[in-house]
Amino acid sequence: MSVRRSRLARRRFLGTGLAGSAAVAAPLVIPGSALGLDGTVPPSERVVVGGIGIGNRGTYDLSCFFEQKDVQFAAVCDVKEARRNAVKKMADDRAGNDACATYRDFRELLDRDDIDAVLIATGPNWHATMTMYAAHAGKDIYCEKPVTKNIDQSLILKDTIRRTGRVFQAGTQRRNLPHFAFACELARTGRLGKMKRVYAHPAGMTAISSGWLPAEAEPAKDQVDWDMYLGPAAWRPFNPKFLDGFNFEKGGGLVGGGVLEWGTHCVDLCQWAVNDCPPPVEYNPPKDGEIVARYADGVELIFREKGWIPLGSCPVRFEGEDGWVEAGDSGKMVLSSPALLAGREVAEIGGYPATFHVRDFLDCVKSRQQPKTNAVAACNAHIACHAANVALFLGRQVRFDNATNQFINDAEADRLRSEALREPWRL
Amino acid sequence: MVLRNRLPLVAVLLALSFVGSAPGQQPAGRSEKEREQLAILRGSAAEADKALACKMLAIHGSADSVSDLAAILANERLSSWARIALEAIPDPAAGEALRREAGKLGGLPLVGVIHSLGVRRDGAAVAMLSTKLTDGDAAVASAAAYALGLVGDGPATAALRAALPRAQGPVRSAVAEGLVRCAERSLAGGKGTEAIAIYEEVRAADVSRQRKIEATRGAILARGEAGVPLLLEQLRSPDEKSFRLGLTVAREMPAGATDRALADELAKLPPARGALLVTAMADRPKSTDVATLVKAAGAGSKEVRAAALAALGQMGNPAAVGTLLAGVTDADAGIAGAARAALAELRGAEVDAAIRARIEKADPALLAVLLGLVGQRRIDAVPAAITAADHPDAAVRTAALKALGEIVDIERLGVLVQQTVKPRSDAEGAAALAALKAASIRMPDREACATRLAGALAGAPVATQVKVLEILGGVGGTKALETIASSARSDDEELKDASSRLLGEWMTADAAPVLLDLTTAAKGEKYQNRAMRGYIRIARQFDLPLEQRLEMCRKAWGAARQPAEQKMVLDVLRRYPAPAGLDMAVTAHGTEGVKAEARQAAASIAQKLGELPAEGWAKLSALGLKRSKVEIQKAEYGAEGRKKDVTDVVRKHTGSTVVIVLPDPSFNKVFAGDPAPGAPKQLVIRYLIDGRPGEVIVNEDQAIELVEPK
Repeated sequence: MSVRRSRLARRRFLGTGLAGSAAVAAPLVIPGSALGLDGTVPPSERVVVGGIGIGNRGTYDLSCFFEQKDVQFAAVCDVKEARRNAVKKMADDRAGNDACATYRDFRELLDRDDIDAVLIATGPNWHATMTMYAAHAGKDIYCEKPVTKNIDQSLILKDTIRRTGRVFQAGTQRRNLPHFAFACELARTGRLGKMKRVYAHPAGMTAISSGWLPAEAEPAKDQVDWDMYLGPAAWRPFNPKFLDGFNFEKGGGLVGGGVLEWGTHCVDLCQWAVNDCPPPVEYNPPKDGEIVARYADGVELIFREKGWIPLGSCPVRFEGEDGWVEAGDSGKMVLSSPALLAGREVAEIGGYPATFHVRDFLDCVKSRQQPKTNAVAACNAHIACHAANVALFLGRQVRFDNATNQFINDAEADRLRSEALREPWRL
Repeated sequence: MVLRNRLPLVAVLLALSFVGSAPGQQPAGRSEKEREQLAILRGSAAEADKALACKMLAIHGSADSVSDLAAILANERLSSWARIALEAIPDPAAGEALRREAGKLGGLPLVGVIHSLGVRRDGAAVAMLSTKLTDGDAAVASAAAYALGLVGDGPATAALRAALPRAQGPVRSAVAEGLVRCAERSLAGGKGTEAIAIYEEVRAADVSRQRKIEATRGAILARGEAGVPLLLEQLRSPDEKSFRLGLTVAREMPAGATDRALADELAKLPPARGALLVTAMADRPKSTDVATLVKAAGAGSKEVRAAALAALGQMGNPAAVGTLLAGVTDADAGIAGAARAALAELRGAEVDAAIRARIEKADPALLAVLLGLVGQRRIDAVPAAITAADHPDAAVRTAALKALGEIVDIERLGVLVQQTVKPRSDAEGAAALAALKAASIRMPDREACATRLAGALAGAPVATQVKVLEILGGVGGTKALETIASSARSDDEELKDASSRLLGEWMTADAAPVLLDLTTAAKGEKYQNRAMRGYIRIARQFDLPLEQRLEMCRKAWGAARQPAEQKMVLDVLRRYPAPAGLDMAVTAHGTEGVKAEARQAAASIAQKLGELPAEGWAKLSALGLKRSKVEIQKAEYGAEGRKKDVTDVVRKHTGSTVVIVLPDPSFNKVFAGDPAPGAPKQLVIRYLIDGRPGEVIVNEDQAIELVEPK
């Protein structure tokens, strides 16, 4: 890939934007008063938000939305009654009224004309499908990761967001944390020299399947709507163990595991480091705890289990001919040479908060700029993870053609690019 | 098949089934695998087995599987499982079967089949799908519209265009959605006129707002430059959604007429909209007229000016430098800030030269701003900054120090050292110290830098020495390590405290021998203990060869004086299982105060090492641990009425002894959540040991040891 110097504005500490097909410019600094952020937010400047599938992670995301003065939270949808009611209470307590509506069927929430944007924090089974429905309903979307279950879903996501003119942000919030942004900037702007390798931490290289568990008594629909919970996943009887949406039908229920779960964070950062270029074209099966993938220009993307400097979870490392940088969730980074810092003060924010990512999304809802993890960027990162999983699953090398979006002379691998959705759901 | 075990079993089966196959080739035994799955499908197997057989046939299936898969499409429980295979099997027989079954099915199974035909882009299905557009079941008709949109060829497009005026409600919306896809395909195929016609038909139809937005976007883009009037219509619309569409499309349009039109439009829009239009123009850096933004940045509403200044910085055109420099001293702080931020971003040697040229004659207010830019842009202006560091105006001096932090080289680092050690005021001392830190950590030769910093320590007040030591900690390297280690041996409490803290956070393993030495050489038990913890931290966290790590554990064990430290060593041994580590754990069991932890560590290491030789078990027997067949039957965690099943997790961490070691002391963490917040919780495990049943109740976060059944 070419290493281009970014032209784009650095907004506060958030690092520079991108060049290339997934290019994003951090929103320009417009006086807060113009956006109603100086304490009084006129109705015309509020973003009306609805939340879908607000469980553990979603509650955290929602708290980040609640921190933003220009967010008006209007409705929550969940197949679980207890969660619907809990989120409504949170929202009503914040707003000091009883206005938050509750829905069991997300389509009713999407039908509301007054809602501008949705937070989708269901289990991964629903992410892509629900994103398409939201886009077709004219909503802007902040969706938790992993966003897609396979390669075809990733491509359809990208096309749908473009065709519908929506703003989309994947919940890979590390793109809006200063030390990760700075590390990526070093790689992207040539400060590390010609790039050689980027490393991601997969946190487990196993293929997992959600399978089928014995039937248990199905709760009343009002309490848990099992049919809606299954959604696009193939039918199976109710079993409460499946209600852990986080682990249900990830990666199409065929291949998932840490490569997808953590890769959507770490590989996403690696993709940013290489200018959000198309994903690697070659993927090798695991060897000595590493999956090695190669981009078209020879740069390697390495999923590595061990050998990290202890900088916290979700570490990434970028190596060029002239230097390297490694960063993790502690908020710290280590540089091959202090000269790389070049006097920059990079804020050290540990704990991977999503606040800045949410703010980025809301700014873009208003300006129609592309957020940091827009649909093109998310598509590329997800394809890299899915294709690596295919190599892991098949136990051999696979090669991917970014022009045709197919594996090269590999009918078996191509069969793993997509999976039918349960009726009546579609993308 | 035992359903309880299906999940991991399926994963293993799938993972093993492909190992060794080559790309583009029929994997060895593939037809055999297809036959195996077909036998399940054809037999009296449970639904679960048939469902998973379908999934396997998505990978192994051929035309031979199609009729069996098609036969279960009518089964509402298994229909989608069958389609997983039928969508994936590339043989045309799969498409034929789906078309055939579409004629027989109704309701949801038919909807699914139609979707699959669309996903397969089955052109042969267009005629059938066209008839379904008028199906009485709106879900079926909508599915047909969706599928036709995916196929997107001439006949599919014609069918959808004919259906649009007649379709009702949700079906019309689906038809419109399909048509937008068809128009996109027409445009890509060089049929621009047809694409525009389709988009206009959708725009004119009684469809949802979002369908119109999609069609309008397409109608503008398909027209190219001729689409500019329609684009402007959106930007001028009182409707906010139309305006937002205009902003989106403005970024997608080709260069030329659009840029001219946007420039004209900027002056006509209300300020809030104008500011947002500027952001769109800035995203067209190759074609947007910089002069327009320069003009907007110089006068007019504050919103547009601020946005234009930011855009000028973003777009990188040096022609803007004069405007930006004029803005940095604007009376409005917001405008001045925007100008400074833009100047910090705007690239180009011309910009650096323009800033440098103004330094000499600048008044104090401007000079402080320019020095700030020198630092932010890292402009080579060290002599000017050094001169300014002696300026009569304190604000200028402070700005100069800050700039020097960004630009000074190693030879002139002494300027900052001097200002740090002997500042004019506390405020300037703080500024000098911050600058010295910024300069030091970016120096390419960190040993040379550390040598100069070490030289600054002599004679400096203790508080300053502490600050310089912290800078040395940031610089790192051999000299820095030596200097901090020396301070750690001093008699001064502040220096010892700072040094031992810095060594405890050292980021490279070369601090290990220093820390080990300080476990005895440091003056004061507090600092010796801190050194010991720092030493064990390196053994626990850093990427080291196993032998080196074990050797560090041996030394740490030998130097440890407290059970807490000994427990930390045992934790390292447990994290990195090795036979030698097992020996150390067994030996440690003889030490009072850590017997339980040593036993836990030994059991954990034995479990992770897998098969132990007889002598290994003999060593463990000294700890009361013997090899048993341990089977976990049920494990539940929580409080009364609020328990969760954690059987699988406990099983995963169970080995061949009665000790179960979880990967984290926190049960809530290991068991993925707190089932009963605020309530005392227990872990109840039912098990068999060598076939004999037992049960144990463990309080939250306590060590787990099964009781040997009598």
